[in-house]
Order: sequence, then C-alpha cells, then structure tokens
Amino acid sequence: MERDQPADLGAFFEALLFIAERPLTTPELAELGSVPRLQAEAELSALAERLEEDERGLRVQHHDGAWQLVTAPEVGARLATYAAREEARLSSAALEALAVIAYRQPCTRGDVERVRGVDSDYVIRSLMHRRLVVEVGRRDTPGRPVLFGTTFSFLERFGLTSIDDLPPLSSDAAQLTALTEPAEPAVADGE
Amino acid sequence: MPMTHPEGMQPIPVEPEGAVAVPVGDSGFTLALPVFEGPLQLLLHLIESRQLDVLTVPLAEVADAYVEHLSRHPVDAANLSEFVSIAAQLIFLKSKRLLPTEPIPPLPEGGDEPDEEELRRRILEYRALRDASKVLGAMDGAAPVMRREPREADLPEVPAEPIAVGILVAAIEALAAIPEPVAPPPAVVPREITIGQQIAVLRQALSAGGRVLLQTILARCGSRTEAAVTFLAALELVRRRQVTAEQHDIFGPIVIEASAGEVMP
Repeated sequence: MERDQPADLGAFFEALLFIAERPLTTPELAELGSVPRLQAEAELSALAERLEEDERGLRVQHHDGAWQLVTAPEVGARLATYAAREEARLSSAALEALAVIAYRQPCTRGDVERVRGVDSDYVIRSLMHRRLVVEVGRRDTPGRPVLFGTTFSFLERFGLTSIDDLPPLSSDAAQLTALTEPAEPAVADGE
Repeated sequence: MPMTHPEGMQPIPVEPEGAVAVPVGDSGFTLALPVFEGPLQLLLHLIESRQLDVLTVPLAEVADAYVEHLSRHPVDAANLSEFVSIAAQLIFLKSKRLLPTEPIPPLPEGGDEPDEEELRRRILEYRALRDASKVLGAMDGAAPVMRREPREADLPEVPAEPIAVGILVAAIEALAAIPEPVAPPPAVVPREITIGQQIAVLRQALSAGGRVLLQTILARCGSRTEAAVTFLAALELVRRRQVTAEQHDIFGPIVIEASAGEVMP
C-alpha cells in the first residue's frame, strides 16, 4: 500500500488536471491529494517527465505555481487544423517586447524600453490585450512601477511547457544579463 | 560626405521589418514605408549590414552612416528623440576619435558623457533579445499546445429544484399591477429665453409707472433659468444707464427705476 501510493498520486493528479477547467495551484493539488506541497510538486514534475518521455499526446504545463494538462506541441500543428485556430501574427515590435518580458520577467515597462530603446507602452498594452502578458506585481522602487510576466496563454501559443523551456539567449547576452539586470529581490516561485 | 572612413560608408539599402504609415502632405494620405522603429535597431542594422563585429567595431565608425540615414529616411516619429540622442552620442564618440592627441578631460562623476562600452552593451543586449524574438516569432503558433475547453458540464449549473406554479402566477400578477409608464413627450424642446426678451419684459413693466420691484417680475418667471436671465437683463439695463437699481438691505427688495429721460415703451 505504502509502495503504491506515489504512482496512485500521479494518476490522481493526471486525472484531476484532466477534468479541471482551469490551471490548479500547487496548494490546491496538495490539499486534494492530502500530501505536503513539496511532495505534490515532485509528483507533478515526475508526471510531466513521464508524459514527455513516453511521447504521449499530453503534457503538464507549469507556470507561476499552477499546473494544467495540455496537448503536446508535437501534435499542435495538426490539432490547430482541427480546432481551426488561426491567430493574427505578432508584429516584430510586439515580439521584441514579448521576448524582453519572457526572458526578464518579472520586468517593468521601463526595462522593456531600456532594452529596445523605444517607447513600448502601446505594444505592451497590445500584449496584455492578447493575454500574453499580465501585471504580476509592482517593483519596490520609487514610483512602484508595474511588473509584467507571461501567462499560460503565452506558453500555449508558443508550445512551451514552462518558461524554463524558452530557447536560450545567445551566450554573450547571458553574460550581459548579469551586468545590466537591475538588482531586485528574488522572486518566490512556488516554494 | 565622410573623408576619414572611405571603406563602406556609401549609403546602403535599408530594410527594416516594420512598416510605418507616414503621412504625405496634409490630406490624410499616408504611405506605409519601412522605417526603423528604434535607434538600436538602426544602429545594429548598420553594423550588421557592413559585416562588422559588434563586439569590437569602434561605434564612431558608423556615426556618419547613422546620421546620413537619419537625414534621408523617415524614422518612427514617436521615437525621434531617442534617435537624436543616439546620434549625439555617436557624433561625440567620433569627435573623440578624430582628436586623439587631445584627450577630452573626463566629466565629473554623474555626468552623462556617452560611454562607448555602455552603448555597445545596449546594442548587444538588444541584439540578444531581438534574436530571441525572431526565434519566438518562428515558434509563434507553429506548434501550439491546447488546454481543454470548458465543456457545458463545467459551466455553472442552473438550479434544479422545481419552481412552484404559484410563484410564477404571483410574479405575473405583480407585473400586471405595475401601471403602464406614461409615454414621454415626443421630444424635449428647450425654451430659449434671451436677455433681449427679458429686457423687453422689464421695459414693458417700467412703462406703467417708471418704477418696478424686481422681485415681482422674478416671481412671474416660470423657471430658474428665466429668473436668472431676467436678472441679467436688469443688470444690462443698469449698465446701459437706462435704469437705476436700488437695494437698501441684503436680500431686500430691489427697486428698478427708469433713468430720467428714458422713454419706456
């Protein structure tokens, strides 16, 4: 019985995510599974890995402390034909702003403008309108500017299971990030 | 034209990705022209189109091409100040290079002397995120993942308890008991009262005895507006010195009297 518990829990979470009509948070899942939060998280990560390793048609998507079951990106193009979903392409300006927010999140409009060198108020609002980014809080600096982060819709549209899946930035930029990124308090992600 | 850097300073074809509507003349006619949205985009394009290495190229070398581009092509007007600011930095860097024997004394701490390495860092950072945005653009919608759409069963349920017929009857009867609303007048016609009209009214009143109590006329007014306009008419007559007004106490009666020699109709 003890030995079977983890496998049961994984199946339970898989089923739970299947019937849920919205992303479920780690605390919700932990409570429903009657397990500590850390165990729930480990179980969900294991489930995500299993689905990917077995090349199943479903994936577990994880963002901002919440989880949902989605279709695998490998079948996305064919599914899009079935679902007749065709979204308007994003402009290069919108993609630039989205890239800054995705890689630097949470970040402010000022951060986006500093990187792009241009006013980005409009593009950020259009990204918010498309629900690709949302306000996630405010930075504790003068003026308390709004911080933006990406959403589940962003992950869905770009076929990612979490923001850790983003393609890596080119190497010289990775070093630059350390140089130019403003110091900010560490962001608690889940636990 | 530049004399110092003949290697590749000729105008180059410029093909930014974005097209921006540029107004032509003042007739509301616009042309969609490809323009650079920001100075970093332009700067990076100038460097890359010459196949120079962003990491090592002296940025002063592209100053001429940058300024040349600014003077000949439209840029996104909303960000013009950003373009000009970068232009100023490039010209400064170039001037420093042209006068190598005379080092410019460093500005005090906190001064905003353009720093080449800082500008280079910005270009590199921009390039990294621009490249990432191109990768994202290729991924955009290519292999989307989808979540389950909420089914009917997920929608909030309608209460399933049977409803007593009596409740419906009572509801209809209650509705029937409410009187039909009175139809509004077909249109609201504002009644215009002018100072001129009210001057005529005042003159009419004064024609009898040459004196009249303003309050008696105000009392005959049908609305607040009419009273206000009448009062203004009285003030106007006073201003024209056709009448005099007298009031002994605050809120007391105001006596309007025709001035001597004024003939009231």
